[in-house]
Amino acid sequence: MSTIDKVTDIMRDLFEDYSGPITPAIAAKDVPDWDSLAHVKLMVQVERAFGIRFEAREVSQPQNVGELVALIDQKLAAKG
Amino acid sequence: MSLAPAQFAQLNRLIDLQLEVFPEHRGFLTKRFADSDAAHLDFCEQLSGNVFKIAGSDIRRIVEDYRWLSDMVLEEELFFRREGRYRLSKFSDALEQVYANTPFMAKYMNGLLASQLWWRNHTEVLRYFRDGFLPGNRQGFTHLEVGPGHGLFLGLAAAAPNGASAEGWDISAASLENTRAALSAMGASAGIALKEVNIFTAPEGQFDSITFSEVLEHLEEPLAALKILRGLLKPGGRIFVNAPVNSPAPDHLYLFRTPEEVRDMVAAAGFEIVDTLYAPPSGAGLDKARRQELSISAAVIAKKSS
Repeated sequence: MSTIDKVTDIMRDLFEDYSGPITPAIAAKDVPDWDSLAHVKLMVQVERAFGIRFEAREVSQPQNVGELVALIDQKLAAKG
Repeated sequence: MSLAPAQFAQLNRLIDLQLEVFPEHRGFLTKRFADSDAAHLDFCEQLSGNVFKIAGSDIRRIVEDYRWLSDMVLEEELFFRREGRYRLSKFSDALEQVYANTPFMAKYMNGLLASQLWWRNHTEVLRYFRDGFLPGNRQGFTHLEVGPGHGLFLGLAAAAPNGASAEGWDISAASLENTRAALSAMGASAGIALKEVNIFTAPEGQFDSITFSEVLEHLEEPLAALKILRGLLKPGGRIFVNAPVNSPAPDHLYLFRTPEEVRDMVAAAGFEIVDTLYAPPSGAGLDKARRQELSISAAVIAKKSS
């Protein structure tokens, strides 16, 4: 399963009222429940699903799904 | 564009001030007020008036400190979601890191004052206290609030037409001074006695009515405190307990994971449960709040059997 597919699963579960597309361009403003608190939950669920840990500054870094996927892939690559 | 109809002028003025210093909060506040009926907005309008009175010339600081509070809560949320528990569990740590830090406490209290309006669950609990709890008290009731904080609950209790007297107790003289200033600013201080009292050494059986709002989660042994409060009530007296579920904050020690845990603890202290309100956060229904383990305010009205 690709990174974006796994992220999509997490987002479908977390943003249960959102049925629109989940593509790299989708950002918080596009998903009504994606506020700052939900973002923290999203990032922690991503950490669990991928077995990675974000630095404090990285938690608020991704501005859209594509940036989140890139950050995850970068963390996975660094993990080796 | 105003988020509430034009007749709610003070509410709209406060929203505008908040968005000036926290423009990213527009989406949240839009959701917050989206489905509000006229009665709810009317309550918010009165509450906004009180926030303006309490703040006086410091109103800008209140909305700025709310923004600071929102950022601070995110850090606690990150810890909570990662670890599944609150950061602190010892009162001595909360005392050292939070309560003894006067500048931190001042910002924290200011932010929480604004949250009474911006966090829908906070507003709903205040309204439930006014409309669901106070009218059920006996004519001429004597009232106590332990930990009166911003004074909004105590002000409502003192204004109840069926009330005879109201007191506020706290172990902190500084906190009582804040309550005194807030009540005075709201024009609600007449006849309210504020005392530095530790509930564990107070004489029993004095009051018809007690408020214990957002205190349980700050204690290491909340059940013991509820049992003491039961002793302070006269037979037939009523208590209003309000505690948040899944709500990380720098000084929250005791984690309630469901609203029923709050209700069951009140029952375990020997009270008879009369009614409950489980208020989900802005933008979520109760079912969704439970599924997603969001913060829920659990308000419990209970009685000491005659």
